[in-house]
Amino acid sequence: MTLATLIALPFAGGLLCWLTARYSVAACRWIALLALGIGLAWTLAYWNHGSGPDGWILEEKISWIPSLGIHFQLSLDGLSLLLIALTFFLGLLSVLISWHSIHERVGFFHFNLLWILAGTVGVFLATDLFLFFFFWEMMVLPMFLLIGIWGHANRNYAAVKFFLFTQASGLLLLVAIVGLAFAHQQQTGQLTFDYNQLLGSQLQPLAEFWLMLGFFIAFAVKLPAFPFHTWLADAHSEAPTAGSVILAGILLKTGGYGLLRFVLPLFPDASETIAPYAVLMGVIGILYGALLAFAQTDLKRLIAYTSVSHMGFILLGVFAWNEVSQQGTVIQMIAHGLSTGALFILAGFIYERIHTRDLDQMGGFRTLAPRLAAFALFFAMASLGLPGTGNFIGEFLILLGTFREHMVLTTLAATGLVAAAVYSLWIVQKVFHGKPGKTQSLPDLNRMETLILTLLLLGLVGLGLYPRPVLDVAAGPLEALRTPVYVTAVETALKEDAP
Amino acid sequence: MNAAIEYWPFGVYVGAVVVVIAGKLLASHFLGERHRERVTGEAYESGILPTGTGRLRFSIKFFLIAILFVIFDLELVFIFAWAVAIHELGWPGFWGLMVFMGILTVGLIYEWRMGSLDWIPRRPANKRSRPSTLSSKPEPTR
Amino acid sequence: MNPADLQALLPILIVAGGALLVMLVLSFKRSQTLSSLLTLLSLAAALASIPMAMSADADRIAPLLVIDSFGFFYQGLMLILTMVVTIFAHSYLEKFRMERGEFYILLLLSLVGAIALAQASHFVSLFLGIELLSVSLYIMVGYIFTRAKAIEAAVKYLFLAAVTSAFLLFGMALIYARLGSMDFITIAHLLREHPLDDPYLLAGSVLMFVGIGFKLSVVPFHQWTPDIYQGAPAPVTGYLATVSKIAVMAVTLRFFYSMDLHQQPGIAAALTLIAAASMLVGNLLALFQDNVKRLLAYSSIAHIGYILVAFIAGGERGPEAVTFYLSIYSLALLAAFGVIAYLSPSDRDSDTIDHYRGLFWSRPWIAVAFSIALFSLIGLPLTAGFMGKLFLVSAGIQAEEWLLVIWLAANSAIGLYYYLRIVIAMYQTSDDPQSEDSTAPPFALIIGTVIGLLVLSIVWFGLHPESLNLWIRALSTQP
Repeated sequence: MTLATLIALPFAGGLLCWLTARYSVAACRWIALLALGIGLAWTLAYWNHGSGPDGWILEEKISWIPSLGIHFQLSLDGLSLLLIALTFFLGLLSVLISWHSIHERVGFFHFNLLWILAGTVGVFLATDLFLFFFFWEMMVLPMFLLIGIWGHANRNYAAVKFFLFTQASGLLLLVAIVGLAFAHQQQTGQLTFDYNQLLGSQLQPLAEFWLMLGFFIAFAVKLPAFPFHTWLADAHSEAPTAGSVILAGILLKTGGYGLLRFVLPLFPDASETIAPYAVLMGVIGILYGALLAFAQTDLKRLIAYTSVSHMGFILLGVFAWNEVSQQGTVIQMIAHGLSTGALFILAGFIYERIHTRDLDQMGGFRTLAPRLAAFALFFAMASLGLPGTGNFIGEFLILLGTFREHMVLTTLAATGLVAAAVYSLWIVQKVFHGKPGKTQSLPDLNRMETLILTLLLLGLVGLGLYPRPVLDVAAGPLEALRTPVYVTAVETALKEDAP
Repeated sequence: MNAAIEYWPFGVYVGAVVVVIAGKLLASHFLGERHRERVTGEAYESGILPTGTGRLRFSIKFFLIAILFVIFDLELVFIFAWAVAIHELGWPGFWGLMVFMGILTVGLIYEWRMGSLDWIPRRPANKRSRPSTLSSKPEPTR
Repeated sequence: MNPADLQALLPILIVAGGALLVMLVLSFKRSQTLSSLLTLLSLAAALASIPMAMSADADRIAPLLVIDSFGFFYQGLMLILTMVVTIFAHSYLEKFRMERGEFYILLLLSLVGAIALAQASHFVSLFLGIELLSVSLYIMVGYIFTRAKAIEAAVKYLFLAAVTSAFLLFGMALIYARLGSMDFITIAHLLREHPLDDPYLLAGSVLMFVGIGFKLSVVPFHQWTPDIYQGAPAPVTGYLATVSKIAVMAVTLRFFYSMDLHQQPGIAAALTLIAAASMLVGNLLALFQDNVKRLLAYSSIAHIGYILVAFIAGGERGPEAVTFYLSIYSLALLAAFGVIAYLSPSDRDSDTIDHYRGLFWSRPWIAVAFSIALFSLIGLPLTAGFMGKLFLVSAGIQAEEWLLVIWLAANSAIGLYYYLRIVIAMYQTSDDPQSEDSTAPPFALIIGTVIGLLVLSIVWFGLHPESLNLWIRALSTQP
């Protein structure tokens, strides 16, 4: 199986789902499950696969648009492997949670779901910048439809807002990508979008800065970083549960991945210039997101704002640009995918039962549904970064790595952990403690729901207690990313710092 | 700017146009007779008193025939131009004209078959009968 | 005029002959199907004759036309698009009780003008082509004369086109007065000696651009567009928006590039302004439309603005990008108008957004086709529009037109919103059963197949743009 089939799998699965749903809804769900299952198994099979001489585990390159030097070029390394595994895993869970909650237009739903995943896998694999952009844009449209068709009351507004934000920033990305390719051509006389070759381009400082900004804004919107976060709450709260899980668990990670993979290696000097501001944006995001989360009365909106807060750490970790902080970033991305995904799933379960997301109408669920409450408590604790969960490892490593670079800002960011404790406990207290409100009966989790949450729980605990395998897989690629083709002064300084 | 001065005749021409038109309008305004009497508004028919109203209804057919005449008459001008240069143009010119005549003939056939040359459509040219323009009442003005 | 010349002119001759044939047959047998079949046949014959015409040993038909692969590509494109329009029109007109055969005569005649424009290299052929194209269009726009809107549109188009033709003619006259030539090549030579700030030339080129700008409907000559797009029958609008614009764009490309006008500082600045204004005004006004045809009209203004970015950029990639974008834009737009024609009952075109509410759930195939066409207009991946945007942006960036390129990106983002409104409407769940009669139009299968083919080609070119782009890159213009 090649890398292209890894993308083709959900693609074809999606089409097949759509066509079979007309005859059998169950068949459609099983096809989706099967496609994602195969993908996950395949990805995990490469976990300990050695990498080639140039650092990639697998590579593929086919000429696509020769007149512009564009190739269909895919490469897999440890970093993309982790994120692809996360994608397939959360995709599987999304199919499972939709099993009983999506009854209308099942075929088209799974079509969209699988196409988002296909686009995301493409984003994580593409090493031709244009191909990357192609997939980057491609995952947006099915997400738009997912929110727009199966969303809640205010879905159209949320869907359009999501689409406009991502597309507008995406166009900036396109301009920046093409600009970079032509700048490279001016130097070397060769027009190429190949990531490996563009890494070596030496740009004019001014050009480098503007091109970097195009990349940075696109990724910051997706992440989302502080001034660009406004689409997130609407999109999350209006999306169906599976949509929220994918959005929070995977789509946001493409922003972090883009920063790690493209912004810093391609524009080391300009990134250095912007780093303090980016870290500041991260810190503002952490604190402001937490503050907003605390002010929400809508459960899904609340969780959405916690994402803003957690994603601030990613910005912090990426721009500190050392081994510890980067390792933390990777762990944080995975842990956030699992824990926030779980919280959205929980919110979805509650919504299915009482048909509201309003916190004021909840309360006392602990006595009504003890298993639900237990899981919720765990994931809320994970979200606030309790030691023993993956989130703790991620946030701790990030803060550790950043502290050396930006002491004051890191200290401020650390107070975000306190805020996280406040809103996490707030959820638990509001929803599960106190007297039962209007809701008198609440069915507890059934077997499938328990299974889903148990899987997530195991993942988080595993990541928290024994992060070694993940760190090992990510170490090689991160090292490669930190070693630019030409070593700048900044870089040598960083190396001296490293133990 | 020198170039602009170079084109002074053009400016003079434009100016002349304005002056002549304005002059005509003004002259007729000042020189023209102005009186309002009983017969001022009446149509002038060589001194003979008009009978009936000037707003006669003409059949649309008149216009159609007139247009057709103009079209075919104009083509004559082209043929005339060819006839003048017949020796210089030789056979290619002849065949060129033949193509031209062929196109005209097709047009004529079409016109004929469509019944445009019939004053009163005796038989409809196609299956559906079209209302006769002559007998139809004028559309009420809105 | 020797046999080689005639051979090179085959496409034009065949289309013109087709018009005569349809007229002759119409005199004896009034049948819409027969007329449209003959039209299709002559279009196909003209298309098939292009390889033969290309092999002809002729450079130019002095002095009016040039024979080159650039012209033939545009001719082929317009022939294919007109074939599609013919099929749409056949189904569309079938719903009306009126004389329908004449439509095809007009269509073929206007196409003669259009494909002559693709080869025009002289003011006379330029003017004749534009007039032949427009005069037939006046009648086609108002063809459904039972609709007040159509008559209004036809009259508006007639007046405005006539006025701007006068501008064009006057501009030509001024340039001729100064340079003493109406041939593009000679003018190009003479221009090297004459400074362009000569008032005659400046006034002449500005006036000419008014005429051309009107046909392309760029700001500030765009006001006619929405009314005419809305009033004209959907297939005619499709024709007007694609073939007529392609023809004018082709001749504009030839005219400007033969004398490098787009690189003259003053003219480049004016073009830049026009491009920027067209993008902004077209997109902003499209935001407020509830009528799909008006919306597409305003968006077409913006799209011409996008195309102008590559046009101004010039260089190696500019004309290629223009040609590529124009081709795939036409495919998408024609598919969209095909869908509108498909869904329109006989009393009016279904052109308000409300008509499309819940379409995806009642007629999924046609809705998917419409969505893909709209996605291509937006420029989403997997559709050809995406690749078109890429080529435009590449051309712009290579020429370092940074501001224009960023302006293009920003405007595309505005454009997203109004296209999405239609898409959202289609995917919305309509709770009340549509009172709209959902009967299929006449010959639904054929028209559906054609729309399907258009959409497939959009997706194909979106995945594999080189299959079209390699052709375009190989095109050459004959000086």
